[in-house]
Amino acid sequence: MKVVALLRKVFLLDLFAGLAVTFRHQTPGAIVTEQYPLERPTLAPRYRGQPKLVKDPLTGEILCNACGACALACPEKLITVESERDPQTKKKVLTGYRFDLSRCMFCGLCEEACPTEALDLTPEYELALYSREGMVFEREQMENGLQRKVYEK
Amino acid sequence: MTQNNKFYESVEEVAPGRTFLDSSELVINMGPQHPSTHGVLRVILKLDGEKVLGLDCVIGYLHRGVEKIAENRTWAQFNPYVDRLDYVAAVSNGLGYCLAVEKLLAVEVPKRAQYLRVILTELNRLASHQVWLGTHVLDIGAVTPLFYAFRDRELILEVFEKYCGARLTTHAFRIGGCRWDAYEGFAEEVRKTCDFIVPKIAEYGELITGNRIWVERTKGVGVLSGDDCKALGVTGPMLRGAGVRWDVRKAQPYSSYDDFEFDIPIGAAGDTFDRYMVRLEEMRQSIRIIRQAVDGLPEGPLMAKVPKMLKPPAGEVYQNIEAPKGELGYYVVSDGGPQPYRVRVRPPSFINLQALEKMVKGQLVADVVAVIGTLDIVLGEVDR
Amino acid sequence: MKQALFGYLQSKVTPGEAGDMLWATIYVLLVFAGVALAVLFMNWFERKVMAHMQVRMGPMRVGPHGLLQPIADALKLLLKEDVMPEKSDKLVFWFAPVAVCMTAFTAMLVVPFGRAHAITDMNIGVVFMLGVSSLSVLSIMMAGWSSNSHYPLLGGLRAGAQMVSYEIAMGLAVVSAVMLTSMSTGTGSLSMMEIVNQQFQQGRWFAFSFFPLGFIGFVVFAIAMVAETNRAPFDLPEAESELVAGYMTEYSGFRWSLFFLSEYTAMIAVSSIAVTLWLGGWLRPFPNLLSGHRWDLAFSWGPAFVALATAALCFFYVIKMSSIRAMRLNRLGLAALAAVLGALGLLMLLPPVASRIQDIFWFSIKVAGFMYLYVWYRTTFPRYRFDQLMKIGWKVLLPVSLGVVVLTALVGVRHELLPLVWRVR
Repeated sequence: MKVVALLRKVFLLDLFAGLAVTFRHQTPGAIVTEQYPLERPTLAPRYRGQPKLVKDPLTGEILCNACGACALACPEKLITVESERDPQTKKKVLTGYRFDLSRCMFCGLCEEACPTEALDLTPEYELALYSREGMVFEREQMENGLQRKVYEK
Repeated sequence: MTQNNKFYESVEEVAPGRTFLDSSELVINMGPQHPSTHGVLRVILKLDGEKVLGLDCVIGYLHRGVEKIAENRTWAQFNPYVDRLDYVAAVSNGLGYCLAVEKLLAVEVPKRAQYLRVILTELNRLASHQVWLGTHVLDIGAVTPLFYAFRDRELILEVFEKYCGARLTTHAFRIGGCRWDAYEGFAEEVRKTCDFIVPKIAEYGELITGNRIWVERTKGVGVLSGDDCKALGVTGPMLRGAGVRWDVRKAQPYSSYDDFEFDIPIGAAGDTFDRYMVRLEEMRQSIRIIRQAVDGLPEGPLMAKVPKMLKPPAGEVYQNIEAPKGELGYYVVSDGGPQPYRVRVRPPSFINLQALEKMVKGQLVADVVAVIGTLDIVLGEVDR
Repeated sequence: MKQALFGYLQSKVTPGEAGDMLWATIYVLLVFAGVALAVLFMNWFERKVMAHMQVRMGPMRVGPHGLLQPIADALKLLLKEDVMPEKSDKLVFWFAPVAVCMTAFTAMLVVPFGRAHAITDMNIGVVFMLGVSSLSVLSIMMAGWSSNSHYPLLGGLRAGAQMVSYEIAMGLAVVSAVMLTSMSTGTGSLSMMEIVNQQFQQGRWFAFSFFPLGFIGFVVFAIAMVAETNRAPFDLPEAESELVAGYMTEYSGFRWSLFFLSEYTAMIAVSSIAVTLWLGGWLRPFPNLLSGHRWDLAFSWGPAFVALATAALCFFYVIKMSSIRAMRLNRLGLAALAAVLGALGLLMLLPPVASRIQDIFWFSIKVAGFMYLYVWYRTTFPRYRFDQLMKIGWKVLLPVSLGVVVLTALVGVRHELLPLVWRVR
């Protein structure tokens, strides 16, 4: 259909088709932008975000048994587990836990390796800090999370 | 290509005293910081007015020594690093590595895990092609399809986030199978995503394919014949756009791809327009595969029996997969220990990039940008 | 003094014609301020419309829905460091953006916003506008040359070549429209006011004269004017993703903003030519067909309607906006804007005000339509390569506009021509 193709070319129909597509998208309902600081998304539960030492909801103690499997599993060797043996129960007790968040690639191997499900990468993603030293989490920060100051305008 | 980058930087070196207006050749640097080089790629162009006489690529700005890192990590610990190679399509990288190590271990992955792997890898192919589409048309000047493509890609990334916990650097698979099972509502969400995306592909066609400006910018630009592709080792949509019917998923099936029915689109002329059409059609075929896999997802275990401390027997293996960019290969050598002896990645973008000079010689400067876009390179893969 | 003031307000001619220096100066300042404000608004408008077409929202933070964004941009550009390259030709480097701005604003001298609302009405109006637009080509070449660097030079040469080749097609299209002014009186005119008056007298916009000839001429001009102002799809000289970054590379801060300003002003100027020549200038729709007191009154509510509709839209957004404390100032600002627009709308319902701003309103609406088209093209179309661009200018638009000129001339004199033809037989 050479004539039809020629007419399409002369009357710029392909250009009008393109114009129609962009025009259609102008409806306010089509907008997908999320206004971030005002609307904060909640992420999936499996999201690998800020690491946390999980506490047993009944006893309030952390589930970690200081086995050190997470430190062995980490590709970047950024976890340090300090423990001592309790003379009565002969079990390891956690004394210190250091997690260097600045080198973490959030791969989840530590979470996977933990036998007691004590280490959890939570869906918390707002991790920006003002200093690099603050990115090495000690045990309190691992248990309680980052204590952020919430600003109310 | 030059040995030590002594490609002359300016006419001053060649003929001091002459200004560039006197010479018939102009050397222009499309530096590592450029909106269209898809990463940190430096291209040195030798021009005669508007025509390209020669081209030299300088790469290595993103080299991170990934293959060396592999020698110092255990087999399972290296898995997250391969995501960072082709960071746009991280799932396929993980698939290739896991398949290679499973081949060394001679272990059979359960069917359910294989189907899950196929679903995620094909979703990943869709996402990668959408990034390609958005950035390629952006380089040619149309600013809108980028946003449409990324809006559609957002749905796929949400599926990834809900499945494995990350959108881009997914670390989705483990050696021996999959760690996670499909989450609650996985099948519905994947089906909904597919149903949403199919009319959008038609919309891209309305907006771009028939547009006369697009056709003029891409037809006959960057032609690479089938024989040239085979000689240079170019694979993927570049090869199929030139008319060669070769897809690793059909030729050497892996991870139960032979259970699914799908076509391989091929082009005729080997120019930018044909490669564009091939990739669009690949997106439709990916959706076909995903729908079949989701409908036929079998029950069963997710992981094969692999020891906790992996020590594959000494030997070497080459496993290739059809990544969105081309044939991604892993040549893995084991010496029986807990860490790999050598992992060599065959990066499709790196090998496809070698065809750049052949494709743009004799074309105009404005076509260089179009051709880099059609190559669909990711510098993470080129430099490793 | 008061006599001069009120005496002028009753007159029916432009201050240029009346020889009134004071009012001419006031009009010049008003037009300058108006165009500058329009450019500022156009910046916001472009970003918002492009964003909505791209399923996103555009500027939202600075002011309600980003309305104060252009002011923030202008302030930022003013406060930037003024970089002048070491080896550049300093005088020409300084002068080029000034020249571009000057030519763009000078072209607005003869634009007829209404029956008596132009700064002056030269009897060579159209040719004056085209000529002054051509001077901007010179300034772009000056910018490219003075930067003493090959990217700007190549970009400037390319931009110059592009603009010159499309000016020919533009000029021929203008000729075809000007020829139509002689249909009713026998003598044509290049004066912008006279062209609009002729459209009124002949009872149709020139875009629909001798259908489809007038329309083709209009379309040719509409395409050529997009290329003339270096806008998509013909914006290779200033494209970011192409190799050569364009003649504006070495300019930063306020000098760059002058280029930017003059680009939008040039867009407004060529759109004004298009509106005047083909779309009836300041005439309201159907002045002859739907004439009479009642229709005049109905159409005179047009400006009020637009203002009130915009006020209602702002008010609607105020209600829909989130009510958290952080957005309170935004909400207040938008509500204030809605109130001001509503008051203006109500003011425009009063007959003395309505009758005065009628012409300006209809003219502005038509030019605004063209601005929307510009933004729409930019959002939708990819870019032409330079050789393809030149091919279209010379091989497509030029023959078509030549054909339109010849055919319009033939059809225009058909009454005189046919008897001659018959007699020869």
